[in-house]
Amino acid sequence: MSGFPPQSSSESAAAAREKLRDAMVRLAEGDSAALEEIYSSTRVKLFGICLRILGDRKEAEDALQDVYVNLWQNADRYDPDRASPISWLATFARNRAIDRLRTGKVRQGAVPVEEAAPLPDAAPLAEALLIDAEREAQIHKCLSALDDKAETYIRSAFFDGFTYAELAERADVPLGTMKSWIRRGLQKLRACLEASERETAEKGDVS
Amino acid sequence: MRGDTPIPDDAGERDDPMMAAEFSLGLLEGEELLAARGRLANDPEFAWRREWWDDWFVPLSDDVAGAEPGDHVWSAISSQVASSQVAGQAAGQTAKPASDGSGGVHTNVIDLQARVRRWQWVAGAASVAAALALALFLTAPGAAPLTSETPQIAANDAGEPLVAQVPIGETGLRLDVTYIPETEEMLVGAIGLAPDGVHDHELWLVPGDGSALQSLGVVTPGEVRRMALPQNIATNMADGVELVLTREPIGGKPEGVDAGPVVAQGSLGTV
Repeated sequence: MSGFPPQSSSESAAAAREKLRDAMVRLAEGDSAALEEIYSSTRVKLFGICLRILGDRKEAEDALQDVYVNLWQNADRYDPDRASPISWLATFARNRAIDRLRTGKVRQGAVPVEEAAPLPDAAPLAEALLIDAEREAQIHKCLSALDDKAETYIRSAFFDGFTYAELAERADVPLGTMKSWIRRGLQKLRACLEASERETAEKGDVS
Repeated sequence: MRGDTPIPDDAGERDDPMMAAEFSLGLLEGEELLAARGRLANDPEFAWRREWWDDWFVPLSDDVAGAEPGDHVWSAISSQVASSQVAGQAAGQTAKPASDGSGGVHTNVIDLQARVRRWQWVAGAASVAAALALALFLTAPGAAPLTSETPQIAANDAGEPLVAQVPIGETGLRLDVTYIPETEEMLVGAIGLAPDGVHDHELWLVPGDGSALQSLGVVTPGEVRRMALPQNIATNMADGVELVLTREPIGGKPEGVDAGPVVAQGSLGTV
């Protein structure tokens, strides 16, 4: 199976996004043919996410299979009015990969935090599959405003799927210290994100 | 880092939104993770907050490089879907429930409740057989392991719900466990049980392949709890698999300590 051609203009990105949303709705209605369409356009992104969390190709492929089979079984959980299909799918894939990590059967393949390098860019993402750019800028801005440690470890938890205990071990600090770094960070992060939501809402009121 | 340093668990303020963030990031494990899963299924406010964090964190995935999976992945997916369709038709299952748009989760709960009511009927008749089977087990000489009598553990391909009734001693009380393969959700009903303030009871799954017991969490007396099972546990939920209930300190089995005494057991079966 070959990939979809990359989308170049934002107009075709919007069209591709609509197409994906439509396929998700059809899947929820029981149309199994829609699954292939969804797989074609999202597998590269979702496999990237699984691979990053699980750190092992074989495991990530098993996880990916599990993601799409479960998607087929649970497509009715997707609410097309609420979320963009790709963010929903990315969250779904990440959560399944994390569940798999917590089984204890999978040895986490990820390298220590400090050495974590991005995977080679095996297949650049199509523009259509980028998640909301505005929110992306905002979460990055709020993360950057945190203390270095909080930012580093919150990012590492997201990207590498480490638990508190694993992060503490890797950073060689007591568990309580790691928890308090991250919790203080999460508290600030929440305040920052909520402030940005209020701003957006105010802007929305004006226009 | 050794685990012998006493660790204050109040490191940093921790309210519900914080716990939802920790859950969303995947920082939790063990009992905390199970507790968070239980909250997700039972507390709409907590579920909303978890989703709020998920939605904020997910744009970060754009920084993750994509990668191309092997071609065999799609073949495996399509054959699995095809076989589940065939099984679904054979079992006379209807199409997937349609979402009502505004509340997919609610539809799901209502659907679940309707189905549970349907099985409770059947369970009434089935419990006679279950009670007989248990009586046989209890009177078996030396309470020998059940291996010879254990029904063949069959993969639950048809996606039929599984139920187990776990009678608790001579009390006449019992735990009702229902598992819905389709959504990988489990309902644990402990109606009539009361907490003694000193112990908790933890439910375990005994995997058919002989691997280590998997915790299904601490039982909440007097309530029916619903929770989504992680995939590694869900795969082990099959016809004939045994469940055991152990008595533990409040909060469940502590890390690194043997489980407490088994106070009740039962096995999953279709009805």
